[in-house]
Amino acid sequence: MDSQHLNPSSLKSRFTARFLRALIKINAQKPISSSSPRDIFQRYQRIKVAADKSMAYSVRSRRTWSRATLWKLRSRSRRRLASSGRRSSIKTRTTTTTTTTTTSTNHRAAIVEKTSHEKENKEDHVGLAVQAEELRELVPGGESMDLCNLLDETAHYIKCLTTQVQVMKKIANLYSLE
Amino acid sequence: MHTELLSIFSKSKPQSKKKKKRNSSLHLQSHSSSKQKKTLIMQPCSREMQAMNSLLNPTQQIPLQDLHINGNRHQHQQIHVPSSSQFQYPTPTSTTHHDDSFLEQILSSTTSFPWSDETGPPNPEDNNNAGFNYDEMVLASKLRQHQINGGAAANPFSAMKMMLMMQQQQQQQQMMLAGRPTVASAAAGGGITTNHQGGEGSMQALYNVFGDGSLHGTMQAKSFVGANSATEMTQSQGSGPTAGEAVTAPEKPKQRVRARRGQATDPHSIAERLRRVRIAERMKALQELVPNANKTDKASMLDEIIDYVKFLQLQVKVLSMSRLGGAAAVAPLVSEGGGDCIQTSANGGSHPRNSNGDQTPSGNDRLTMTEHQVAKLMEEDMGSAMQYLQEKGLCLMPISLATAISSATSRSRNPMINHENPTNGSHLLIQSSGGDGPSSPSMSVLTVQSATMGNGGLEGGAASVSKP
Repeated sequence: MDSQHLNPSSLKSRFTARFLRALIKINAQKPISSSSPRDIFQRYQRIKVAADKSMAYSVRSRRTWSRATLWKLRSRSRRRLASSGRRSSIKTRTTTTTTTTTTSTNHRAAIVEKTSHEKENKEDHVGLAVQAEELRELVPGGESMDLCNLLDETAHYIKCLTTQVQVMKKIANLYSLE
Repeated sequence: MHTELLSIFSKSKPQSKKKKKRNSSLHLQSHSSSKQKKTLIMQPCSREMQAMNSLLNPTQQIPLQDLHINGNRHQHQQIHVPSSSQFQYPTPTSTTHHDDSFLEQILSSTTSFPWSDETGPPNPEDNNNAGFNYDEMVLASKLRQHQINGGAAANPFSAMKMMLMMQQQQQQQQMMLAGRPTVASAAAGGGITTNHQGGEGSMQALYNVFGDGSLHGTMQAKSFVGANSATEMTQSQGSGPTAGEAVTAPEKPKQRVRARRGQATDPHSIAERLRRVRIAERMKALQELVPNANKTDKASMLDEIIDYVKFLQLQVKVLSMSRLGGAAAVAPLVSEGGGDCIQTSANGGSHPRNSNGDQTPSGNDRLTMTEHQVAKLMEEDMGSAMQYLQEKGLCLMPISLATAISSATSRSRNPMINHENPTNGSHLLIQSSGGDGPSSPSMSVLTVQSATMGNGGLEGGAASVSKP
């Protein structure tokens, strides 16, 4: 099973390394024995976030969807920290990420307007607007792209998702063997 | 040393007499008059080459005198300009040097264009000669201008195209002369694909070549030439060339895409077509990624893609739920369609299942939940229902088959088979082991009577859930 990760710098191996590290951290933080649904749900959330995050990290910022995912996760964690009252860490984080967030929000707002305008004007893909909308919702960061780039992002996103699912399945099997 | 001039310089007259269709290869032509020139056997070259030879031979020999394969440099003056009356080619010596190097570059880079050398005294043409030479002159000046512009090394192709242009022009002239409606298959070297008959085609080819070579600043000349040829064409063949029509672009330096014949070369339409092409490419790439990509319709393909993305995201969710250290068997039923329940049942870690862990011991509840979910999904959208099943490792199958399987395996395994009479139809939900990993040998079959009862209009009749 490990012999498949032949290329040390491939997407798969990068993701696997990060995800395993995150899993170890999660398992170390919370004991597994907690069985209340809420705890389990929380753990599930953490794992899912870890998976998405490690995937997005493996792609760095080369893709719009990975940037959007990272941004989303970071803002969410910041909000959570804000609610829990840890202001100091927020401040440090906000200083680094304010610029990116503001620019991205402005950029996104501008582009959303532009794309909606374009959609109204250019009616060459008449029936595909609905599906394009749906795709935009599905793919993170997809609201700010025209159809051409959206399809590109979708292709890469699908590839990464399949990798993610593969690796997670294998890990789950490992777990289930015990 | 003797120049090996290219066949561009062959005589026009003898070539016009020859049927161009006769042979696809250029023949050597030895003219007694041309003592200086040797003749080579050429590769199968198109007639345009011949035409070009004949064209260039009488007219501009100075810049093209070095069009030889070996790249001799010495033949500046060997080819005399035949008759200055015909051809006003004011070539100062400075430009000839330009031309030499430029042409040498061309030749060195494009040795696939073997030119037979052919010279001869310029043939006093008939009445068409005036316009003929005027056109040639224009073309020649353009060539020179192009050379002077220093575009030599950058685009030998455009230079070739210029030569082809001249060829074509020559050919047109010759066709006019000969009165033959030969196909001006312009394209010899440039790969321009026009197959029009008569003057119209050649006209278009001419325009095409003009357009494709990056002839900046030669537009007015082009229109001139166009006008000239147009008039001549109409004179000779009475066909009205459609000015401004474009033809499909050649492949080589695809600087811009030309519209098809009959469409406007409007930048908007071009941009749109480009956009459509790119989208089609991307759709094709996506088709390979997504399974069941046999749809030809773009809309249905997009639907498929959307469903697949949803499915993958759901899979990630489920997998992350199940990977809780193997202790708790969690069967979350987070579905977008029905989406309200997250059922977690901690089974105390009796036996950790595979990722799609529906546990047997207390599995009934969960399976019922599954079935409820599936039924709900099925009402809304069959596709997402199938996918929901898929991600859980379940599938639908006829009850008869399921019973057969279960009975076959129940002898050796731990049977937990609950059968109920199906009202109608014939579908079972069978869970696979997610396609990998070890799975428990026990099998449990559960029927979704409640689901069918609950949803009267459910098409799948009685569905039972069984797990390998």
